[in-house]
Amino acid sequence: MAAMANKKREPISVFPRALVSISPFILLISAWELTAVVITSWRSVPFPTPWTTASRLLSALGGETLVDQTLYRHILDSLVRWIAAFLAASASGVAFGLAAGWFRMLEKIAMPIVHILQLVPGLAWIPVAILLFGVGEKATFFMIAVTAFAPVVINVVSGVKRVDVIYVRAARMLGAGRKTLFLRVLLPGSLPQILSGLRIGLGNGWRVLVAAEMIVGTGTGLGYAIIQARWTLDYASAFVCIIVICLVGLATERLIFSPLEKKTVERWGLSRGDL
Amino acid sequence: MLDILEVSKNFYHRESGQEFQVLCDLNFRINEGEFVCLLGPSGCGKSTLLNLAAGFIKPSAGRLIFQGREINAPGPDRAVIFQDPTLFPWLTAIQNVEFGLQNAGVSKNERHLKALQSLQRVGLENCADVRPHALSGGMRQRVSLARVLVLEPALLLMDEPFSALDENTRERLQDELLRIWLADRKTILFVTHNVDEAAYLADRVLVMGPAPMSLVTEVRVPLQRPRRRSAFEIQNITDRLRMELGRQPCCIPVQKRSHGNENNQT
Ligand SMILES: Nc1ncnc2c1ncn2[C@@H]1O[C@H](COP(=O)(O)OP(=O)(O)OP(=O)(O)O)[C@@H](O)[C@H]1O
Ligand SMILES: [Mg+2]
Repeated sequence: MAAMANKKREPISVFPRALVSISPFILLISAWELTAVVITSWRSVPFPTPWTTASRLLSALGGETLVDQTLYRHILDSLVRWIAAFLAASASGVAFGLAAGWFRMLEKIAMPIVHILQLVPGLAWIPVAILLFGVGEKATFFMIAVTAFAPVVINVVSGVKRVDVIYVRAARMLGAGRKTLFLRVLLPGSLPQILSGLRIGLGNGWRVLVAAEMIVGTGTGLGYAIIQARWTLDYASAFVCIIVICLVGLATERLIFSPLEKKTVERWGLSRGDL
Repeated sequence: MLDILEVSKNFYHRESGQEFQVLCDLNFRINEGEFVCLLGPSGCGKSTLLNLAAGFIKPSAGRLIFQGREINAPGPDRAVIFQDPTLFPWLTAIQNVEFGLQNAGVSKNERHLKALQSLQRVGLENCADVRPHALSGGMRQRVSLARVLVLEPALLLMDEPFSALDENTRERLQDELLRIWLADRKTILFVTHNVDEAAYLADRVLVMGPAPMSLVTEVRVPLQRPRRRSAFEIQNITDRLRMELGRQPCCIPVQKRSHGNENNQT
């Protein structure tokens, strides 16, 4: 199966390939187990082992509550916040990036600001968010959107600038108006960079979501659960949330970005970075 | 049809901070239905002239008149075939051909039909749903041709369209171009650096040189078609062109612009 999925590469035998792909996890879990054992005996604090975390995860998946709510409720609430804010940030970011990549003046005026936004650490938005929206959903939304926006814009701008002028000329020679030029030439032409911008934006948003929920939180969500679990010394639950966060991140890469890239950029015969 | 009137083009050279002249006081006319080849050493401004006629860039001085109107923007009436086929990689062959029709507001069904016919004309109806990266260089250039022919342009501007192809493919495409040209009586301005190609295709060959002598001479090819590549008369023309080209430097370095001398006189 592994060999089938990857026709292009030399078919090495299946066993080492499978071993290679699971070895990072084995390494990670071994390091974790080791840390847990050493810390527990040395500092006599209950550092959750992979085993206790896994059993806590299973019970949480079975419906047992975790910080007053089911795990599903936490995941769902986090996902909803994250996706809503990310969609807003990416839609506006792509539109703005296309415009700033095309119109010189806009680029000169707006891009320095975007680069500054990019430099603000996610957590530094907390006071701003609270001042602007008070404690609550809106503040969380703002924090995710504002941290996802800048990388999307920056990548889209560089993508548009890398679209070969010859495609723009060809389009104009074929009678393309401005709308066609943007939607059917600049947008697909810069898709490789757009995708990497969205990747970074999504990741930034996900990380800051956890931070935002920890402080501006509203009683549910994975980030909120992590910080609450600490007060009740329920470290295993905190670890469960951390794992779930990582898994969701991995899943978006595997389920959204990789297929999207295969369907578009790779099928067009462009690899990321050229054009 | 197309009038080039006292056209000059300067480029600004960033490194040296100087302007240099590529085209100088160029004058010529192309008549309806004519097949004109532009021949000249590398760097003499052939592509620049084509870009001017396409409306991609503006002249520094002079005017370009197309069908009685001054050229100031690109448009589907002046089709361009680039040296490297600039098919959109994200569209299939037929979608590439439909692109211009869609801009012209042609309905979906008609668009598809016309695009398919146009692909048929260049012998690629079987590749309609293939993306450009899966086509060979020659096939891509055929699709490029189909993509502009479907818009029925009055003028075809071709910038060394076949120079990246192998000999056999090139000759076939030359013949197909001639067939299409004879059938539709398009006007063609065809840039090449290949004397055989120029002699075989053209009614008239314009030999260009470095500024300030942008237009060196013109050679008429008053031969019937279809022509035979090895015909004695063609060989004569080829020799003549080769001689004209041989008088030019083989490639032209970036030139400084000369101020206030005889260049500005007409
Ligand atoms: N956008 C530009 N900016 C500055 N210089 C340019 C620009 N476009 C062309 N040139 C210069 O103008 C000169 C003529 O270029 P052009 O491409 O028209 O030559 P050409 O006759 O088509 O040559 P070739 O046969 O090699 O294609 C060259 O010296 C080139 O460096
Ligand atoms: Mg050229």
